[in-house]
Amino acid sequence: MNTNLNIEQLATHQEQNDPVEILRVALEHFPSSAISFSGAEDIVLIDMALRIRKDIQVFSLDTGRLHPETYRFLEEVRNHYGIQLELLSPDSRELEQLVRTKGLFSFYQDGHKECCAIRKVAPLRRKLATVDAWITGLRHDQTPVRASVPVAQEDTAFSTPEHALVKFNPLANWSSAQVWEYIRNNNVPFNELHRRGYISIGCEPCTRTTLPNQHERAGRWWWEEEALKDCGLHVATAEPSRPQPAEVA
Amino acid sequence: MTTHIIMVKKILADGAPCRKCGEVYERLLRDGLLQHIDRIVTADPHNPDSEGMRLAARHQVSRAPFFIVRDKGGNEHIYDSFLRLKREVLQARASTTEVALDLAERFPELDYI
Ligand code: SF4
Repeated sequence: MNTNLNIEQLATHQEQNDPVEILRVALEHFPSSAISFSGAEDIVLIDMALRIRKDIQVFSLDTGRLHPETYRFLEEVRNHYGIQLELLSPDSRELEQLVRTKGLFSFYQDGHKECCAIRKVAPLRRKLATVDAWITGLRHDQTPVRASVPVAQEDTAFSTPEHALVKFNPLANWSSAQVWEYIRNNNVPFNELHRRGYISIGCEPCTRTTLPNQHERAGRWWWEEEALKDCGLHVATAEPSRPQPAEVA
Repeated sequence: MTTHIIMVKKILADGAPCRKCGEVYERLLRDGLLQHIDRIVTADPHNPDSEGMRLAARHQVSRAPFFIVRDKGGNEHIYDSFLRLKREVLQARASTTEVALDLAERFPELDYI
């Protein structure tokens, strides 16, 4: 890992709007860096990175619950670009324990975090322990949660005292329109689910199509709005009383 | 154990614990750690005077469950992460899933990887 790189400076650098430049910095300073590919429009990262270097590392989280279309797309990407796409699987013991005790659709009752922890976060953590930097397709315009995504940052989630990790988000400042313009202009293959109205693509049971201009969060875990309030410690207010006929103008 | 630990759990309108509180209680039980919890108090959002709600307000905690740990010197420390309590106070090993779950809860952006 090159410790001379000033991550904060890079994050505010004027070239931050150019994903290729960010990728170039990532791949040059962190030769072991790996691209996290979700099987959606972050495909552009692979296309761009291969123009810089041929021996890039790419991995995807195979939760076991992806759409068949996504599995087909992952295979298409592997063949189209001739890359070794590493598929990361959940720990079988942890997964069997979850399914044995809670079934296959526990996320509809218990929320998605536990299932995501086992199927996505734990395998990701395992992988990230082997690299110095990773590259994601996170963008500002995807959800309010991502509004503050910088193009480069120290990864506070997965860094440990013994192992510093940097996260690059080369597409942070690109809009969805720019991503799709790149896909069209460069004949980049894309997941056929996008043609069917999926903006963001995750696991099949947890993803649905959204209306134009809806945030992609609306297409994920849509049943959870109420469940999220479940553990909040705010004083419950009485139901607002309905206006009586005399009060209605 | 030389510390005193209070667990604050939230109860719903029907008197059942909130989902997360139920899960954490189960994990304490399963891991044989419940014996280290000296008191469990309830926070009833319909009753701001319930002990748990008063403690939540005093310590400015917005989600349940949480733990109040009083050390030997009488200083109180708040743990709103069960994982941290388990590792730092109860000095127990956390499973891979517990670590991952803690990350998933603390870093919402991981939802979209
Ligand atoms: S998105 Fe749904 S199915 Fe996929 S890992 Fe998360 S909860 Fe499980």
